[in-house]
Amino acid sequence: MTAEPEADVLVIGSGAAGAALSMRLSERGARVVCLEQGDWVDRARLPKAHVDWEVRGRRFWAANPNVRRWPADYPVGSEGENPVDVYMYNCVGGSTVGFAGNYWRLAPSDFRVRTLDGVGADWPLTYEDLAPYYTINESVVGVAGLAGDPCGPERDPLPLPPAPLGRHGELLRDAYEKLGWYWWPTEQAIATAAHGGRAACDHRGWCTFGCPQASLGTADVTYWPRALKSGVELRTNSRVREIVTGPDGRATGALYYDRDGGIREASAPVVVVACGGLGTPRLLMLSSSPRHPDGLANSSGLVGKNLMTHVQSFAVGLFDEAVEGWHGTWGGTVSTRQFYETDLSRGYTRGFIMSGNRGWSPLNLALQVAPWGAGHHAALEHRLNHEFVMYLCGEDLPEESNRVELDWEHQDGFGLPGIRTHYTLGDNSKLLGNDMIARAHEVLNAAGAASVRDFGLSPIWGWHLLGTARMGDDPRSSVVDGSHQAHDVPRLFVVDGSSLPTSGGVNPTSTIQALALRCADQIWERRRDWT
Amino acid sequence: MAYDRKQGGHQVAQANRPDYRLEVGRAEVPVGGSRGFSILDPGRAATLKAWVATLIPAAGSRPDAAEVGAAEYVDATVLEVPALRPSLLHAIDRIEGIAAAKAGRPFTSCTDVERERLLKEFEAQDATDAFDMVRDFTYEAYYGSSRVLAALETDTGWSSTSPTKGSPMAPFDAARLERVRSLPPRWRKVGGSTGKA
Repeated sequence: MTAEPEADVLVIGSGAAGAALSMRLSERGARVVCLEQGDWVDRARLPKAHVDWEVRGRRFWAANPNVRRWPADYPVGSEGENPVDVYMYNCVGGSTVGFAGNYWRLAPSDFRVRTLDGVGADWPLTYEDLAPYYTINESVVGVAGLAGDPCGPERDPLPLPPAPLGRHGELLRDAYEKLGWYWWPTEQAIATAAHGGRAACDHRGWCTFGCPQASLGTADVTYWPRALKSGVELRTNSRVREIVTGPDGRATGALYYDRDGGIREASAPVVVVACGGLGTPRLLMLSSSPRHPDGLANSSGLVGKNLMTHVQSFAVGLFDEAVEGWHGTWGGTVSTRQFYETDLSRGYTRGFIMSGNRGWSPLNLALQVAPWGAGHHAALEHRLNHEFVMYLCGEDLPEESNRVELDWEHQDGFGLPGIRTHYTLGDNSKLLGNDMIARAHEVLNAAGAASVRDFGLSPIWGWHLLGTARMGDDPRSSVVDGSHQAHDVPRLFVVDGSSLPTSGGVNPTSTIQALALRCADQIWERRRDWT
Repeated sequence: MAYDRKQGGHQVAQANRPDYRLEVGRAEVPVGGSRGFSILDPGRAATLKAWVATLIPAAGSRPDAAEVGAAEYVDATVLEVPALRPSLLHAIDRIEGIAAAKAGRPFTSCTDVERERLLKEFEAQDATDAFDMVRDFTYEAYYGSSRVLAALETDTGWSSTSPTKGSPMAPFDAARLERVRSLPPRWRKVGGSTGKA
């Protein structure tokens, strides 16, 4: 085993949270080492750098690791009545490299779900505690949008203007006006003007297929350049096998395989796990020992439990007119939180957002709707450039039966187990989801759609993998406390999607990165305790 | 992937389920460019070319799938994934067998209408997923082709260049928010900071 130079903080995972936390701590003066199991994305290979980007998006860039199988990927199984189609990336920047940049803040009520609605769990912090970190994050990432939305509290101005709407966005805006509903331009982690050395977005769209000019605020182009400049040591191709604890029970470092497969150890007085909603419980369970037979930090038995994915769907309107669905940021038209807060008269608790997207691209549309043979072209022409898409996202309540567990039958390239998800939509989620889809039909009809189709609720889209090492005040019902420190293991912190006690009803990356910045400050403020 | 789902017919890619949709992930085959056949002999290559041309025939300014090299693309993909070769070879032979039995001549000699009918028969009895595999790969080759995308732009107005080159758009008009700005707040106030570190 090779000895490693010590750092003040060892971070495991370089994704949304790991990047933000590493930069914040380093810029405040901490010595930070970050272990990333994957590598930098070769930006020349981003699908959107090529004419056949849709094809490349199905192979090299496939969001499901079982298809893509990059060297750092591990197998993911999907079980349950509503199996999760897992989408995640193991690389510098984590799953942000394949995100669309929808960048919402949670609402104040999202932090008090149990108190207000009698379901889920309360968070050990409030919206007001997190708000300053949302603002910092929006500045670093370069978030486009507009303050003043009456569906949320007052806030600092956003650093960049909203994305252009395009014809499809105008149709949606006019529909909301016709219905008399709330709407607002969607906030996005997209540089609508030059920001932080990144070029302004030129509306190529389909952002999840990679943004060659780095207008999309993925963590590898936002946080990591600053983190490296401030001195963070990022070790790529470093796959952590287990977290190490000392005789006193404190976390002291990690054992990991380097790019050649040799075992190495990195040590630091503070260890932060930021491997995402699947990777974090996987690593904690892999770190079992005689002292922690059920996995590290798992005296509650909740490591890997309460997997939340959001209730999601697409609704698609077909219009007589051409909608110019071929340009504009994928998620960048207008959204509504008309149905975000609980209204029990709807027959369920909690709520959802609806967000305007653009039109489908030729290959994906053909695969969806165009039969082979003589009728192929007519079926495609009927819809291409005449449809636009609405993304629907609702709150998914935590349920212990929705969980992840190690899968020793399927292993990664280093003999470490894969992960298996078990997921079934709860009754509340089904009711919420069905209403969400019905409301989307209502909007698209109001927009003048000749017809509307939707994607239903299952299989589950696994973009948002949340709750599997959740935070809370009570060690019996949570894995980490309000500062993200494990209840059971001093100096072990967990901050990423797994930390969220409840999911809210919006895309989570903004919240995950705000939590990471806050966690960094809490580690820094107690630095004298660590040394 | 999320964007290609056929409503009611989507299966999650699983690590424990053999599936061409999984196997193909590591096969990076750029669309376009000139390439010949590596796996298929000339006879089977001719059958596959007729097959893909039947899946997506020519229309207006759009060529058929064989003209843009879809058969060669299928061959190149299967070259990268040897596990898929048996099902492709078997499927081609099976189609020729059906053509001989039902049309009395090679598939390549059949009319367009006959080919479509024969392929539907094969699709209905295919238990290997080979038909779906060739269909999906043919769609990929076709809609990854710059020639097809340019023709689509001519026929439908869908821009072939904007997704990779960008295009101008009018800025967001905040004046249209006047009504919404006048609405009462629509969020629940729940109290301030916990004060906890």
